[in-house]
Amino acid sequence: MRKLVLLSVLMIVVAGLILTGCSKVKGQAEAALKAAEKVISEAKPEAEKIVPDQIKAVEAALNGAKEKFGKGDYSAALSDAQAIPGKVKEMLASLKAKKDELTATWTNLDQGLPKMMESIKSRVGILSQSKKLPGNLTKEKFEEAKSGLDNALKEWETAKESFKGGKLGEAVAIGNTVKEKAAQVLQILGMPVPAAAKS
Amino acid sequence: MSEEDVKEKGGSDSWSAEQVHEVKKGDTLWKIAERYYGDGSLYMKIFEANRNILKDPNLIKVGQKLRIP
Repeated sequence: MRKLVLLSVLMIVVAGLILTGCSKVKGQAEAALKAAEKVISEAKPEAEKIVPDQIKAVEAALNGAKEKFGKGDYSAALSDAQAIPGKVKEMLASLKAKKDELTATWTNLDQGLPKMMESIKSRVGILSQSKKLPGNLTKEKFEEAKSGLDNALKEWETAKESFKGGKLGEAVAIGNTVKEKAAQVLQILGMPVPAAAKS
Repeated sequence: MSEEDVKEKGGSDSWSAEQVHEVKKGDTLWKIAERYYGDGSLYMKIFEANRNILKDPNLIKVGQKLRIP
């Protein structure tokens, strides 16, 4: 009888320990998930603009950890959630490298493209005053050049707005399109295409 | 525009779309304007763009490199 009582007490103690341990892991997992959510939300605004795929992957990892937590697999949720800040750190390093690269490309475009388009504007302005176009330029081609220039100027304004809004990738992509269009207009007009616009 | 007679090249700046014409024997600003703009009467555009090296639109020298705006 005494043995039975002892065994019962022992079982109650073990069950208590298990429950306490389980509850402790649950609390740790909750804290880790909150910490992971916080680092992600801090990095998200800029990451969405520059490394959208990477922020999606980190968010997917967070959702996976939450799912495990929801199913009661607290240890796995804890482990996954604890790995997230490291992933965010890697993403931020990648974001910085990408941002530096895009900023350098943008700076180059911003220094060169307006100058290139000014040359085109000047030539289009003079040719518009001409009584007869040069032999290598038909009226149709001249109209094509004028509309190409208008489009390039409008798109350049869009690119500048994107840059101001922190959308570096978008700004550079539009800037490169403007560069290609401006190069086409230069060719139509029989003007030299600068080396920087050929790459 | 005859490619043989016209020497075109960009400036030293890698973004420069500046067109340069090297003056040949028999060239006048009128002829150069006709070649590039189709209209010789626009020769003053070239003269104005090259005021740093030209003093008189009727005086250009063989070998001079003129900016074509």
